[in-house]
Amino acid sequence: MDSKRLQRSPSEGGFRVRQSRFALFRTTTFRLALAQAGVVLAFVAALLLSIYFTTVGQLEAESDAAADGEFASLERVYSEGGMRELSQQATVRAARAGSMLYVLAEGSGAVIAGDFQQLPSQPGDSAERVDFRFERPDQDGRVTRGRARGRLGRLLGGPILLVARDMSDDEAITNRITRALWTVAVLGLLLSVASGLIASWLASRRVETIASAALDVMAGDLARRAPVRSDGDEFDGLAEAFNAMLDRIEQLIQATRSAGDAIAHDLRSPLTRFRQRLETALEAPPDAEADREALRKAADEADRLLEMFAGVLRLARVEASGNWTLQRIDATAILRDLAEFYEPAAEERGLRFQSSVEDGLALSGEAGLFAQAASNLIENAIKYTPDGGRIELRAWLRPDGRMEFNVLDDGPGIAPGERDRVLERFVRLESARSSPGAGLGLSLVAAVARLHRGGLHLRDGLAVGGRRGLGAALVLPAEMRP
Amino acid sequence: MRVLIVEDDADVAATLKASLAADEHEVDLAVDGELGESMALNGAYDVIVLDRMLPKKLGVSVVRDLRQQGVSTPVLILSALHDEDHRVEGLNAGANDYLGKPFSTRELLARVRALWHGRGREPQTRLQVGDLEMDLLTRIVKRGGKKLDLQPREFRLLEYLMRHAGQTVTRKMLLENVWDYHFDPQTNVIDVHISRLRSKIDRDFSQSLLHTVRGSGYRLEV
Repeated sequence: MDSKRLQRSPSEGGFRVRQSRFALFRTTTFRLALAQAGVVLAFVAALLLSIYFTTVGQLEAESDAAADGEFASLERVYSEGGMRELSQQATVRAARAGSMLYVLAEGSGAVIAGDFQQLPSQPGDSAERVDFRFERPDQDGRVTRGRARGRLGRLLGGPILLVARDMSDDEAITNRITRALWTVAVLGLLLSVASGLIASWLASRRVETIASAALDVMAGDLARRAPVRSDGDEFDGLAEAFNAMLDRIEQLIQATRSAGDAIAHDLRSPLTRFRQRLETALEAPPDAEADREALRKAADEADRLLEMFAGVLRLARVEASGNWTLQRIDATAILRDLAEFYEPAAEERGLRFQSSVEDGLALSGEAGLFAQAASNLIENAIKYTPDGGRIELRAWLRPDGRMEFNVLDDGPGIAPGERDRVLERFVRLESARSSPGAGLGLSLVAAVARLHRGGLHLRDGLAVGGRRGLGAALVLPAEMRP
Repeated sequence: MRVLIVEDDADVAATLKASLAADEHEVDLAVDGELGESMALNGAYDVIVLDRMLPKKLGVSVVRDLRQQGVSTPVLILSALHDEDHRVEGLNAGANDYLGKPFSTRELLARVRALWHGRGREPQTRLQVGDLEMDLLTRIVKRGGKKLDLQPREFRLLEYLMRHAGQTVTRKMLLENVWDYHFDPQTNVIDVHISRLRSKIDRDFSQSLLHTVRGSGYRLEV
């Protein structure tokens, strides 16, 4: 494909791959077809040559054998009947209609009898094979041209004998064979070039659809996909892989876009507050203590903003996957440490905090991210469960080889219809507005779960007075116990 | 103490220099990795603060080469990429601490001081702050001769505070060094641990040892 054409900007219009007649000759399929045509042609040529030599060669061999037989027979006539008998036989046989030609000449070369008035060549001492062209008048007086093959030799005592076979009929056959072979060769060449052209046209048409989908996507139509014909050929495989890539890209772009929107939206109010605080402090009459307080609050506000940025970056990095080295990690130890870490904070709030983590839980993962995901769930429970409530941590190996970590509370819970929504980034429910946080906690847990090929599920939690709190379940593939 | 800052961003470098100078340190500045390395080799610095992304030579390579040339000056790496793998890479190269940008000045100052105090110290078996004693071998903690009953994690928390007695330690430093956590909890969980520890070591005594440093962290001192 022509790279120049791809580089054209969409604003120039005409942003499509055009298939010119010459472009076809540059396609890989066409080149392959051409190479294949070459191989076919070489094969046909070899085949035709071998046919030629077996047919035409066979004809010549047969005519040589006939001429040799006739020569030997006349040689016998000469040795038994002498010159007179030979001369008579030669005249008789020459007069007979047929393809055999005879010439009897004296030792000097003067022709005595036969079909020609002169010899095609002077003979050597022994009988030899001759192949010559001749002209002679036929019965109607017209001159016929022909080719003959035969034997020319000097008989014992001087006379020269030529016995040859007129090859004119054979030649006609030979010519027909040669013509047929040429026809086949040319047809073969045309067919293989044509099939190459068709194959490359078909292939490049399929590639073309994929390329044009790519260009449409580049031009901004993110939802465009390459058509899949569902006959499962390699182009379908390519189109499917290509579409899967586009799906992933679209997903990432959407995520980036919505993150950008959400950041803009969520940063506006704290930044405004930040600015107002500084402005108020500047306008107020100078007071060292009040100024310091204003600065402190501004610094806190800035910290929150930075924390939010850090959260977004961390989430983006987890979602981009790659780069993480997953190792065998001791989930039991990490979860027990976290339980021990958070228990005092929960108790401080008057929460009943229970934890039961099975022995020997291990998974292939990234220890820091796993710990952070689990801690986000525990912190959410501590943050949103009212004083005096209950929190329970449970972790166990399920029969299906996955480990499940539950954080159950009896707090306000999340209505089933909103549970999916809170997994999105920056989504904070109205009820959570009063507590600190950027609304990234659960999105991060969900992203970490995906990175570990698991999932985060929100369900009902612990029962309290006829309703239920929230239960967060992190389900990850476990490593088998050694 | 003498501090070398290797940082290519002029604004960041100036701010760092100002805050370290305000904390009564003598500060030199290098703007790229190669210059930083040669200054670190030639000057007698107490602490080196090194940016990770530097022109000419990356911070991690600078540390690795300094360590190979026998320079044992404590190094703190600053990085915008505060992620687990980069942190581990930096520490493996020979850095003593790793701080992700953005950081608060107080956090940086606390860490620089902790690095300086921690350097070249003999391995100790006993720690003492006022009448508070810790025996690292028997793991017995006493205050005023009276034995205190600490949980293992409380023991480690107190050990870290005692090793940095007289210095401010931030919540982040405690999280990283006592619990090995590299995320920021949204709850006041560290404060709760400190207040539990405080109730064990300070409650029955007239003099408090564990002080809260407002806006920064905690300090253990007489």
